[in-house]
Amino acid sequence: MNTLIDRLAKLFSISDVVHQRPNLAFVTTPMENTIHLITHLRDRESFSLFVMLSCVDWIEDNQFQLTYVLNNPTEKIDVGIRCFINRDSATMESAHYLWKQVATYQRELKEMYGIDFPGSPRVDESFILEGWDNIPPMRRDFDTKKYSEETFFPRERPQSNDPAQYMKSKLYPDE
Amino acid sequence: MSFKDVLIPFKAWGNFFKEPVTLKNPMREAAPRYRGFHKNNVNECIGCGTCESICENEAIVMIPVDSVETKNGDSGLRPMVDYGRCCWCGLCVDVCTTNSLSLSNEYTWVAEDPEEMKYIPGVDKKPWDENEKGWKKPEGNFSYYPLERPHMQELHPEDRDHSFIEIVKGYSDEEALLEADRCVECGICTATCPAHMGIPEYIKAIRNKDVEEGLRIMYETNPLPEICGRICTHKCETVCSLGHRGEPISIRWLKRYIADQVPTSKYAEVLRQDSVEQNGKKVAIVGAGPAGLSAAYYLRQLGYSVTIFEKLIAAGGMMRYGIPEYRLPYDQIDKDVDYILAQGVDIKYNTEIGKDIAFEKLEQDFNAVYVATGLHSGRSTRVPGSDHAMVFQAIDLLRKITLGEPIEVAEKVVVIGGGNVAMDITRSMARLQKIKYGKVNVIATALESEDKMPADREEIVEAREENAVINPGWGPREIVVENNTVKGLKVVRCLSVFDETGRFNPSFDEADTNFFEADMVVESIGQGADLGFIPASYMEKLEKDPRGRIKVDPHTYQSSLEWLFMGGDIIEGPDVIHGVANGHKAAKGIDLLLNK
Amino acid sequence: MSFLNLKADRSKYPQRDADGKMQIDLDSHKFVKLWQGPNHPGVTGNMSVELTLAGDEIVEAKTHVGYLHRGFEKLIERRLFIQGMQTSIRMCVAEPDSNEYVYCTAIEELSNVEIPEMAKWIRTLILEMARLQSLVRVVPGQAGTFGLGLGVQWGVYMRELILDRFEELTGGRVYHMFMTPGGVRGLLPDGFKTRMEENLKEIESFAHRIDDLIFNNVVFKKRAVDTAVIDPSWIDNYGITGFVARSAGFNRDVRKSFPYLIYDQLDFEPKVMEYSDIYNRAKVRWFDILTTVDLIRQIMRKMPEKGDFKAQTPNVLHWTAPKGETYVRSESSRGEYGMYVVTDGTNKPRRVNLRGVSYTHAICVLEDLLVGVNIADVAAVMVSLQTCPPEIER
Ligand code: SF4
Ligand code: SF4
Ligand code: SF4
Repeated sequence: MNTLIDRLAKLFSISDVVHQRPNLAFVTTPMENTIHLITHLRDRESFSLFVMLSCVDWIEDNQFQLTYVLNNPTEKIDVGIRCFINRDSATMESAHYLWKQVATYQRELKEMYGIDFPGSPRVDESFILEGWDNIPPMRRDFDTKKYSEETFFPRERPQSNDPAQYMKSKLYPDE
Repeated sequence: MSFKDVLIPFKAWGNFFKEPVTLKNPMREAAPRYRGFHKNNVNECIGCGTCESICENEAIVMIPVDSVETKNGDSGLRPMVDYGRCCWCGLCVDVCTTNSLSLSNEYTWVAEDPEEMKYIPGVDKKPWDENEKGWKKPEGNFSYYPLERPHMQELHPEDRDHSFIEIVKGYSDEEALLEADRCVECGICTATCPAHMGIPEYIKAIRNKDVEEGLRIMYETNPLPEICGRICTHKCETVCSLGHRGEPISIRWLKRYIADQVPTSKYAEVLRQDSVEQNGKKVAIVGAGPAGLSAAYYLRQLGYSVTIFEKLIAAGGMMRYGIPEYRLPYDQIDKDVDYILAQGVDIKYNTEIGKDIAFEKLEQDFNAVYVATGLHSGRSTRVPGSDHAMVFQAIDLLRKITLGEPIEVAEKVVVIGGGNVAMDITRSMARLQKIKYGKVNVIATALESEDKMPADREEIVEAREENAVINPGWGPREIVVENNTVKGLKVVRCLSVFDETGRFNPSFDEADTNFFEADMVVESIGQGADLGFIPASYMEKLEKDPRGRIKVDPHTYQSSLEWLFMGGDIIEGPDVIHGVANGHKAAKGIDLLLNK
Repeated sequence: MSFLNLKADRSKYPQRDADGKMQIDLDSHKFVKLWQGPNHPGVTGNMSVELTLAGDEIVEAKTHVGYLHRGFEKLIERRLFIQGMQTSIRMCVAEPDSNEYVYCTAIEELSNVEIPEMAKWIRTLILEMARLQSLVRVVPGQAGTFGLGLGVQWGVYMRELILDRFEELTGGRVYHMFMTPGGVRGLLPDGFKTRMEENLKEIESFAHRIDDLIFNNVVFKKRAVDTAVIDPSWIDNYGITGFVARSAGFNRDVRKSFPYLIYDQLDFEPKVMEYSDIYNRAKVRWFDILTTVDLIRQIMRKMPEKGDFKAQTPNVLHWTAPKGETYVRSESSRGEYGMYVVTDGTNKPRRVNLRGVSYTHAICVLEDLLVGVNIADVAAVMVSLQTCPPEIER
């Protein structure tokens, strides 16, 4: 694993290397390089299996983190490639031509986070949500509870009592 | 593919001759561990609401229940479960602080109205209340929070028995975090604390690594956190929810931890209290003990100008002159006291009311007066021989130790009394004996049997570690004096201290006697107030209760003389935290009077 | 080989343009649009496939999910670590224990909690029991898609046997919630192993009867053999894992390649086959039933009798994990089941993302595999991939 990271470091600008487990490392790379690096891993380093593509919303930094997890089935190791993209104009180069399933991940990210992957097949078709009329729901600023209270008919939950406050009202109300 | 493939599947017809495997009604009983409907042992439940906090579905709400009374250690609330939300995960059971909650293995309940499926287990009777089977908290030491305290570092007995160095070292950052982490934030303890400190809130501040916020929270209700963090009687810990299954949270040590972390120099900045608007009204406080200091602090917060009159040369009262240094070092008293005085409190030391200043003068010069002089005169057993010169009052000796005055230290000492003051003098004498003679020979005896002794348990344990003998359950009969020297104390077995009505009325077994040899006897059976400085003309006007004690309003501590407030040990306690609490209340009471 | 040839030559439909793109003109009346699903029987779970047919042959398929979406991943972001467990399990209904395992393990890894030995054994036992109850239902279910209902009923019966054991061990039948960050919530009850052994015997005997009923059945063979064949070149290209990969000659099993819990102390060889058609994809799972039965026996034999089953964790009400991220995988009955978890130093996860097996198998694989398949075989193809929509729309 270390030698792999060393090899990659020679060819690409990578940073924030975290060896999470002996067989799993995460690295960060600039978004311009990401797909290039992934292609390299697939074609030159036997990372033939694409495990998943995920997104983390770092709303406080106004960034989305995209994580591409790749697996090398021969060496039995995984690499997670992180890249950070701007949250306001969230667009990322598409990797759909590398593996078949990538397009599905990208389509979901478009719907759930509003990240565009120009050129990815069917990326604009709704994936899970049909007729959604709000901000992409997996974004941190989408408040599920508020949405469901406004949209559905919440059943009333009886008022609960805080033990300390209730004891005060009973035992020493005037103090 | 062959002709065989056409025939072989027909083997399945063999099943035609077998018993069916389907189940018939009535429904079978579920497994003994099945997670079915909730049960709650309402008598054990304390309404802490931890089950509510853990429930990820908000299926539990805490509801007042008529049949349960709100009292110390029990909120009087009970959990109500809503089966429109519950997913039967059983986390509420596993987390319950008292083990009162469980699930039965009953799983059928038909109701026409879904709202019916919302009930208070144990209160609303259900057919499965008696069902013993079902999910319980897993066996063994399974717990969702640690049940034991981190070990507190202390000086070993051999390192401490010859000096007055503080014994308890206090929590390190790591230990404090571990201990703060255990708290379930229920708030049950707050009601029991006489000052109603925001305990879960300041413990949370520790978890957030924000001791400064913790200090601010503590000062809202208690301006003596360094002191209380060391010697508070910690009534709160007796009701802590975690005490039901494990060790209660070390609330006192956590308080000390916060105060220890903030250096004196940062107090002013942390507490941000420099801009109080002055209202020009003046309040006199008699006695710089915990109650007086607390009142002074909160009065200053309200903008009053405050003058304290203190008889001795330093502030602190019983905290300084009663509690030995190994429990409460003087520099820690100074830390709290100095901060209060730095708020602009005027203090007159060596000033005795009635001698140096007339009581009447207080009435004339101030808008209100708060008297908190405490209990400083020791009570005597009045047994024969107790008037001998080698018979002392614990409280006098402790005061002299603090003042650095020489005291009598005999080779063999007997202490009469089972409270904390008795333990203080016992352990102080043990140290002085160790220094003077190289060995310890002090016996403490009390009326109460060991399990009923009023002293804190750890005081007794530590006294023994320091080679003092604690031999309780005896009533003093006579201090034997021969040739004008004390020979020892004659005692008889005490059977019980209180009668059935709960009154102090000890009964003895006269046949069972004992004799403790001693050259010196120390009495420590209680202290009384000395209110001699209040002139008779005032005393006459003050309303008393049937037992002859001065009556004060329980919320404002105002006496029947409008301008005169009284508090501290002379009214309730005795302990520091009651003094702090009623000092604070008196400050609010005075404000109510002067600001109306 | 076949005495009835249902597959007429429809190679001229649909026509392709110069770029090779299909020309589907619905108005030409040469094509029919048909939705299979989202009602449950006939498809696997609540999903649907939008089919375009030329005659009775599929020329285009599109998977549609969204009938279940409950936003669990989002909900977990608002839950304490301990609470996320009960939410995460719902992301896969048929085999919820894989969720428990990957979620708990990720949280433990990110908070540096080491679980006791005993907990590892019990977790492994639970995972294998979950695999078994899933397989015994779905393998005969393969024949069910061709109209042979009897096997399905046997399957349901066998599953109930395991659910009884689950009920006894964990207190729940379908959702067990027995793992908890830090370990598990109890030991095996008295007599558990004996009763389990009885059930295993019964299941073994049924497994052999299923072999007779289904795998030696002329109708089943006729329909399953050579239908919906997955080319080995697809495996990496489509991200195919688990039994589907094994049926195509790829020895891929997370239990072997990334041994977790105590799998390295167990003796087993997952079955690998050479040709991935519906028949072999069912058969490879039939072998998995036997392997799993054997694994459960091994676990019960080798596991310690007693021992701590939960590590002392921080107070679950305030449990915080330092900033970090990890990917944890396990082998479910369907294939690689993983979870990507990100923590941000607070008491709640920043992101929990499930990698469900069906995310690839039910979408890109299914869509491409269905092309050229007869309309009557669509359900069979779905079951042969063991597609499961809840793990797609978490
Ligand atoms: S069983 Fe689970 S969901 Fe139900 S009330 Fe208890 S904690 Fe809530
Ligand atoms: S956690 Fe237990 S003791 Fe506390 S309120 Fe709930 S049932 Fe009662
Ligand atoms: S200290 Fe104990 S009683 Fe007080 S809030 Fe914490 S757990 Fe509850």
